[in-house]
Amino acid sequence: MLFTPEETTAIALSLKVAVAASLASLPLGIATAWVLARVDFVGKSLLDALVHLPLVLPPVVVGYALLVTFGHGGAAGRFLSEHLGISFAFRWTGAALASAIMGFPLLVRAIRLAIESVDRRLEQAAATLGANPLRVFFTVTLPLSWPGIVAGTVLAFAKALGEFGATITFVSSIPGQTRTLSSEIYGLMQAPGGESGIWRLAVVAVVISLAALLASEWLVRRQRRGERD
Amino acid sequence: MPGRRAVAALRRRLRGLAAATALLLAACGGGERPAPGPEGPPPLVVFAAASLTESMDAAARAYTARSGQAVQVSFAGSPALARQIAQQAPADVFVSADTDWMDWLQQRGLVDPASRSGLLGNALVLVAHVDDPAPEVALAPGVDLSPLLGDDGRLAVALTASVPAGKHARAALESLGAWPSVQPRLAETENVRAALLLVARGEAPLGVVYATDAKAEPRVRVLGTFPPDSHPEIVYPVARVAASRHPMAGDFVQWLGSPEAAAIFLDHGFVLR
Repeated sequence: MLFTPEETTAIALSLKVAVAASLASLPLGIATAWVLARVDFVGKSLLDALVHLPLVLPPVVVGYALLVTFGHGGAAGRFLSEHLGISFAFRWTGAALASAIMGFPLLVRAIRLAIESVDRRLEQAAATLGANPLRVFFTVTLPLSWPGIVAGTVLAFAKALGEFGATITFVSSIPGQTRTLSSEIYGLMQAPGGESGIWRLAVVAVVISLAALLASEWLVRRQRRGERD
Repeated sequence: MPGRRAVAALRRRLRGLAAATALLLAACGGGERPAPGPEGPPPLVVFAAASLTESMDAAARAYTARSGQAVQVSFAGSPALARQIAQQAPADVFVSADTDWMDWLQQRGLVDPASRSGLLGNALVLVAHVDDPAPEVALAPGVDLSPLLGDDGRLAVALTASVPAGKHARAALESLGAWPSVQPRLAETENVRAALLLVARGEAPLGVVYATDAKAEPRVRVLGTFPPDSHPEIVYPVARVAASRHPMAGDFVQWLGSPEAAAIFLDHGFVLR
C-alpha cells in the first residue's frame, strides 16, 4: 500500500473540503466581483478592503474569529444550528468554511479582473436589443468572463487545499472530519521520524495542485478555441 | 480617454489598498519588542515550550533584574523549536516539554549534554468550563468519561500522536481503560494551549491539559488529576545549545535550577524534580 489509511482519509477529506469550499463560494464570489467591477457606490473601497482582509490577516486570527462567531458559543453558530440545523463546529463543513473565507480574495480578484476586461459596448448592445440586465449578465458578461472564473475557482481550490492555520484554530484536527492534508503533514512534523510520511504527502499536495492548474489552463484554452470556430 | 480611465482605475485601486492598510493597522494594534542597546552583550535567546509561557517570562524578568543580562524568550511547540535549532536557529538555551525532542537534538550533537538536566515536572488534569456543574471525577481505572461529554461534546487534547501533552493524555486514558470510548470523541489541537482555549470558550465540555495550563486559565476548573503512574513521567529538560557562543548561556541554565527560579516555577504550578 502506497499510503497509510490515515493518509488516504486525509487526502480524500482535503479534496472534499477544497471542492466544497471553492464551489460554494463561487456564486457569492461572482456577485461580489461584479459589484466591485461594475457598480460605483459610497463605501466601495471599504468593501474592497474587507474582501481582501483574509489575504493579509494572519490565518489564526481568521480561525479565532470563526471560532468566536460560528462555534457552539458564538451568536452565528447558535442561530444557524437552532434554526437551520447547520453546524460548523468540529465538522468538515467548518473546515470548508474556513478554507472558503481564506480563498475568497483570490476568487474575487480573478473574476473582477475578467469582468472589468469585458467590453461594455457589448453589454450595451445587448441592452439596446431588448435584453434585461439579468439576461445581459448571463448571456454576455458571464460567458466572456469565463477564463477569469475558472482561474479564480482553481486558485480558491488550491488555497483551500493548503489552508492550515484558520482550519486548525477553528475546528482542530479530527480524523475524517477536519484532519486535512496540511493538518496531517503538520502532525507528522511533530513526531521525530515522521519524515517519510511528510515527503509522501508533500508530493500528493504538489500533484493535486499542479493537476488543478493544468486542468484550468486546458479548460480556458478549449473555450477560446470554441470561440474562434 | 483610455489613459484617463486607467488613471482613475489606478486611483480606485490605491484607495482600496489604503483602506485595507488602515484596517490592517487598526486590527494589529501596537506591538512592542525590546531592542538591545548598541552597547552591552546581545540578548540571551531562550527557546521554550509553549506550556512554559507565563513562568519562563517571569523567570527571564527575574534573571534580567539580577544579572542585567537581557533575555528574549521564543515560545512554540517543542517539535517546532527542536527542528528550528536543527536548522541553525540562533538559540542559546532550549527548554523542551518532553525528553524525546531533547534526545533527538542530543543524538545530533546540537545540545551540550553536560549542561542538560531534567528541570521541571508537571501533572496531567481533566478540566471543564468553570460554569459547568459537573462533579469532580475520580480518575481511576475503569473511569467512564462519556456521560460528561454528552451526545456530541468533544474532549479537547493536543495531537495525541505527536505533541507531548497529547501523548501523555493518550497514555493516561489508555492505562485507565477510557481510551476506546473517548477516541472517537477527541478534538485534537496543535498545542496544549489551543485545547485549553476550546474548553475555556465552552466549545468542548472537557479537556486534558497540564496542571499548569489549568492554573493559568481562570475560565476552567479541574475535575480531577490523573495518577502520576498512569502516564510516563512528565519532564521538562533544559540544556545549552551546542552552537551557542553566548557567555551567559551556561550561567542562565544553572540559574534555572536555583531556589530563586524554583520559587517562580512552583508558583506557576510546576513540580520540582
